[in-house]
Amino acid sequence: MPLTGVETARMNRKKGDKGFESPRPYKLTHQVVCINNINFQRKSVVGFVELTIFPTVANLNRIKLNSKQCRIYRVRINDLEAAFIYNDPTLEVCHSESKQRNLNYFSNAYAAAVSAVDPDAGNGELCIKVPSELWKHVDELKVLKIHINFSLDQPKGGLHFVVPSVEGSMAERGAHVFSCGYQNSTRFWFPCVDSYSELCTWKLEFTVDAAMVAVSNGDLVETVYTHDMRKKTFHYMLTIPTAASNISLAIGPFEILVDPYMHEVTHFCLPQLLPLLKHTTSYLHEVFEFYEEILTCRYPYSCFKTVFIDEAYVEVAAYASMSIFSTNLLHSAMIIDETPLTRRCLAQSLAQQFFGCFISRMSWSDEWVLKGISGYIYGLWMKKTFGVNEYRHWIKEELDRIVAYELKTGGVLLHPIFGGGKEKDNPASHLHFSIKHPHTLSWEYYTMFQCKAHLVMRLIENRISMEFMLQVFNKLLSLASTASSQKFQSHMWSQMLVSTSGFLKSISNVSGKDIQPLIKQWVDQSGVVKFYGSFAFNRKRNVLELEIKQDYTSPGTQKYVGPLKVTVQELDGSFNHTLQIEENSLKHDIPCHSKSRRNKKKKIPLMNGEEVDMDLSAMDADSPLLWIRIDPDMSVLRKVEFEQADFMWQYQLRYERDVVAQQESILALEKFPTPASRLALTDILEQEQCFYRVRMSACFCLAKIANSMVSTWTGPPAMKSLFTRMFCCKSCPNIVKTNNFMSFQSYFLQKTMPVAMALLRDVHNLCPKEVLTFILDLIKYNDNRKNKFSDNYYRAEMIDALANSVTPAVSVNNEVRTLDNLNPDVRLILEEITRFLNMEKLLPSYRHTITVSCLRAIRVLQKNGHVPSDPALFKSYAEYGHFVDIRIAALEAVVDYTKVDRSYEELQWLLNMIQDDPVPYVRHKILNMLTKNPPFTKNMESPLCNEALVDQLWKLMNSGTSHDWRLRCGAVDLYFTLFGLSRPSCLPLPELGLVLNLKEKKAVLNPTIIPEAVAINQEAANNPSSHPQLVGFQNPFSSSQDEEEIDMDTVHDSQAFISHHLNMLERPSTPGLSKYRPASSRSALIPQHSTGCDSTPTTKPQWSLELARKGTGKEQSPLEMGMHPVASAPLSVFTKESTASKHSDHHHHHHHEHKKKKKKHKHKHKHKHKHDSKEKDKEPFTFSSPASGRSIRSPSLSD
Amino acid sequence: MAEAAATAGAGGSGTRSGSKQSTNPADNYHLARRRTLQVVVSSLLTEAGFESAEKASVETLTEMLQSYISEIGRSAKSYCEHTARTQPTLSDIVVTLVEMGFNVDTLPAYAKRSQRMVITARNEFPDPHTYIKTPTYREPVSDYQVLREKAASQRRDVERALTRFMAKTGETQSLFKDDVSTFPLIAARPFTIPYLTALLPSELEMQQMEETDSSEQDEQTDTENLALHISMEDSGAEKENTSVLQQNPSLSGSRNGEENIIDNPYLRPVKKPKIRRKK
Repeated sequence: MPLTGVETARMNRKKGDKGFESPRPYKLTHQVVCINNINFQRKSVVGFVELTIFPTVANLNRIKLNSKQCRIYRVRINDLEAAFIYNDPTLEVCHSESKQRNLNYFSNAYAAAVSAVDPDAGNGELCIKVPSELWKHVDELKVLKIHINFSLDQPKGGLHFVVPSVEGSMAERGAHVFSCGYQNSTRFWFPCVDSYSELCTWKLEFTVDAAMVAVSNGDLVETVYTHDMRKKTFHYMLTIPTAASNISLAIGPFEILVDPYMHEVTHFCLPQLLPLLKHTTSYLHEVFEFYEEILTCRYPYSCFKTVFIDEAYVEVAAYASMSIFSTNLLHSAMIIDETPLTRRCLAQSLAQQFFGCFISRMSWSDEWVLKGISGYIYGLWMKKTFGVNEYRHWIKEELDRIVAYELKTGGVLLHPIFGGGKEKDNPASHLHFSIKHPHTLSWEYYTMFQCKAHLVMRLIENRISMEFMLQVFNKLLSLASTASSQKFQSHMWSQMLVSTSGFLKSISNVSGKDIQPLIKQWVDQSGVVKFYGSFAFNRKRNVLELEIKQDYTSPGTQKYVGPLKVTVQELDGSFNHTLQIEENSLKHDIPCHSKSRRNKKKKIPLMNGEEVDMDLSAMDADSPLLWIRIDPDMSVLRKVEFEQADFMWQYQLRYERDVVAQQESILALEKFPTPASRLALTDILEQEQCFYRVRMSACFCLAKIANSMVSTWTGPPAMKSLFTRMFCCKSCPNIVKTNNFMSFQSYFLQKTMPVAMALLRDVHNLCPKEVLTFILDLIKYNDNRKNKFSDNYYRAEMIDALANSVTPAVSVNNEVRTLDNLNPDVRLILEEITRFLNMEKLLPSYRHTITVSCLRAIRVLQKNGHVPSDPALFKSYAEYGHFVDIRIAALEAVVDYTKVDRSYEELQWLLNMIQDDPVPYVRHKILNMLTKNPPFTKNMESPLCNEALVDQLWKLMNSGTSHDWRLRCGAVDLYFTLFGLSRPSCLPLPELGLVLNLKEKKAVLNPTIIPEAVAINQEAANNPSSHPQLVGFQNPFSSSQDEEEIDMDTVHDSQAFISHHLNMLERPSTPGLSKYRPASSRSALIPQHSTGCDSTPTTKPQWSLELARKGTGKEQSPLEMGMHPVASAPLSVFTKESTASKHSDHHHHHHHEHKKKKKKHKHKHKHKHKHDSKEKDKEPFTFSSPASGRSIRSPSLSD
Repeated sequence: MAEAAATAGAGGSGTRSGSKQSTNPADNYHLARRRTLQVVVSSLLTEAGFESAEKASVETLTEMLQSYISEIGRSAKSYCEHTARTQPTLSDIVVTLVEMGFNVDTLPAYAKRSQRMVITARNEFPDPHTYIKTPTYREPVSDYQVLREKAASQRRDVERALTRFMAKTGETQSLFKDDVSTFPLIAARPFTIPYLTALLPSELEMQQMEETDSSEQDEQTDTENLALHISMEDSGAEKENTSVLQQNPSLSGSRNGEENIIDNPYLRPVKKPKIRRKK
């Protein structure tokens, strides 16, 4: 008997290392995908797939596959026609008629819908009935070949068509198509088992126009013309078992470049871009060499392909033996800034080839291992390529990001475990989405998840050493490659899947170390550590008294217990101390090595062995301490707030050689605006051997300090003389040298300094005239004729500098902004912007960086009241057909305008674009920007917040974005930002008439199939009406209301079908569920439904879990429910009591309710009797999930 | 005929030599030139072996010569102005002659012919001192600051003028509703293929890049020629592979053994379909 997803997951956890238990009653061994026709004009695809499966149970009579969007014409199994049902509950998560508008409800329903089709739980949208003729065949566990003919028409997700509207054939127009999506999204373009854990070999065939190339996974075996010689068919074979989710496709009139260093690697780009492709990929072989060397393992596939396409979904997407990149990563040799970024993308994709494509994951909760390893080895590559400074800086950056995110949202959990556990176990109660599935995750959460994963891998490395770490990776890879070569033993293929437990076991085998505490802390638990440190020096004992406090009560934090490294720089040298952080010990005494003796002139040894002379006059005469660092190696995911004197920070900045320490001290010095800080920063700025990123951030810190000490500041504006000395002509200091960007460090500094300088303000809080003139001169005298590199980024930053110099306009009694009252300085700025923007039309810069900066600057001018606020310009730049960077910049301005001017029109315009724009990335980005810069938030009064908007957004996430997981989750994020988890406050109170309506409906429908839940529904319907403020309480009920409402209204075939089907399988018992389930207590009241309505066992525990989760948020309800555990207790009474007791001020409403409740109550009992008699043999404890138990009248397969 | 030429006269239109009514200096000038041309025509006729000629025919030939020379002058002027100069150079004349269908290469030989007539000037040349000139010009600015200043403002002016011109002749957008002329922004115009303009370097930059890797390209073309469509170093040839039907797929075996030829499945020729038996 097949297992349900939850059960399987449980088993995986128990005996994860014993091997992989498939959630499916069959094993897929081979799949053929054949696309015989691709029509670019109509954006359609026609083809078939053929899956070879071996049943693993005798009585397999239903086969579930994943398929979305596809129109399925015909299914045959072993050449016999097979009946099938295609249904997808995620198309419309909640019923469209539903009046329910709270996000909590939606998130639960969405999670349930996703798991109802989740391949990892053995589910799917497409259910095929095995013809009865084959039953005997199946009982012998013989092979089945499932042949499915399908077509795709104008796919909205999964496959993206780019068809420029110019003259000429499709190839001449540069039309292309490629697969895309977030996580497992292959089901969007062909029927498959869309799981990362179901591996099989592949045969892929694509028939395309003769002028086009089809690039796909595996080896290109041959290319054959069709009989009319107008088309050709590309035949691919992928003999390494691969998950369907790692299958991809790109078709277009690509130019082909065989890598000159590795002939088995081929690069593809769109027409005319070949020179850029050559330059961009010229580096790739070094990345290959690096990974192969550290992993001591050959690249697992026999070939590799990179394809650069337009309108990319993400910049980098890795699939088996090929990666799809955004064409915007291509660059020429003249571009400085893009080069490292592109190389990083290439390296990232290649790391994912090993871990992610070749080695796949067992389940979603193992995803962190793959993301962690690929991110970690990518980090090693960074270290080797860009140096240790860059690497440490990057780690610090990532650490700061994850810390900020976790503190903001309440934690990222790497290894979520979902049992039928208690509500406490629900790992993500702080989030507005479920983390049970990748498809319900907010995109931001997912990025942070990846970030945390690689940081944790680094922590493991710290613990067991890099050598062991690499051995573990090697072991995983060699196991996988042995397994992959077992052509006929498909059971071995599960060795190619990585699981958390397998990975951990491998670590303990290789290293012999126990890393369980580390895993428990960072992997099984969410949150980061927040340290507060301060110290005192005890002169008598010559001891440093360090106090380290932790905040582990705020959201997103956790308590840390264990070793913590502290580095103390004393006069005699640098000393490491390892403190044990324990429950109650706050104070740590650290003995000092040196007596304070500042008179002796002696060099001071640093950590790295270097000995330097220091001017010690600034330091405390009694203390030998120069500076102290807590956790200098970043071996805890933490935020440290440490207090030490300003001179100590200054010493740290000047003499500590670690870039992270320098960065930290720069941040700390912002709080000490003194001449000494100024001097320390200026010295760092001038030091050539100092890391350029440190120098860049020193610029901004210096600007802040200068502003704080504006009244005492002497000399020219900060950095001006420095810039003059470094970059201007000797003879005429107001003229900048002609550009020469050969030294990248000084190039970056030259770019950044003016931007930081423009932030300077004088006593009137205006940008000093001197600075503005200086920047205008830089622009004027900019001369790039003799430069080997393009200056587009430099010029763009000069415009950013101009924008930074803008201060709010002095407005005299709200006059209208016209040209006449324009500030003369602004006039100069505007002149430059106009000229730059117009020149861009004639001589466009690389990636239109200058246009982007101009648009941003114009928005700044508008926002500061110098120029009338008007979105028209931005809207024209935001249109489809502009370069994507320009569009995003323009859209950002429109989003900002929407917020500042509270414009309903613009908000509508943006929302329309989210629905209709041809580019998925732009749609995603608008949602993202709206979420980041929302026009209003849940606690704000805004004229924009109205019912129509709520409905519109609800519709968007409910049904409008079903073709793109990422977009839907983005819509959920926005909804959450705008309205919060509960019912949006701007909605009018639902009318009581709703109750009557429900009753009418009920009366119409057949009483035998209508559950008594209706009675409760009415309760629920009443509750929100009378207590709109009692959000927490109403939720569980109101959701049940809706779910039943759907039951009555529509037939949702899929769910009914799925539930029905699962019902027929042996239902696993779920003992104990009713004990702690408020939901089950509810369901106990409602011996539910006829056969078709029974819920899926899969969704059952989850559903209950969600109910429980709601409970945790709102203290009362679970508690009170617990007080009525008796199954037969009338729920309505309980509801009444609880509401009444808590909200006596709403008594008049209650009266109303009570009457109704009584009526309903009677009704319910009546029904109950009927059910009891009818369904004696049925399990009493069943309940419906919103996704599964909807339909009663759905067709049953067996008839 | 001559009158017609006089009225329509583009360059140096002449009046009839016989008409002596005209007294103003310009007309005298024309007459003088015409007389010179007549001398030239006459001497050419003599050179060609004519003993005498009718006045009318001399007059016609003069008219032809005059319009020919005028045309050279007019055309050379255009060429010279086209390249933003005011003084014609030798190459302007050469291009003009070529344009008029004259074989310039024959000119030196013609000039050196033995039987040519040399017309001696009737008038004495002016005194040598009249040729002496003392050109006056300003000392070229060599001050770095001034040069940079000049270059910057010149470029700025050009850019400004150009963008203003573009803005005036095309659609514009404005930041101020009441004023559309002070800061005219050229209207944003979507592209059909936006990434091309965004990513490709300008032509000037392209040239620089090509110069640096031209050596590579040479090699490539060589290989292409050698390899006869079979397998090629680079995609220049690949385009052929993808778009043009391969004539000789049987040759694919010959790839083996050659070191510089890459075996990449995308470079292999496309196979012809197997012919199925008709039922």
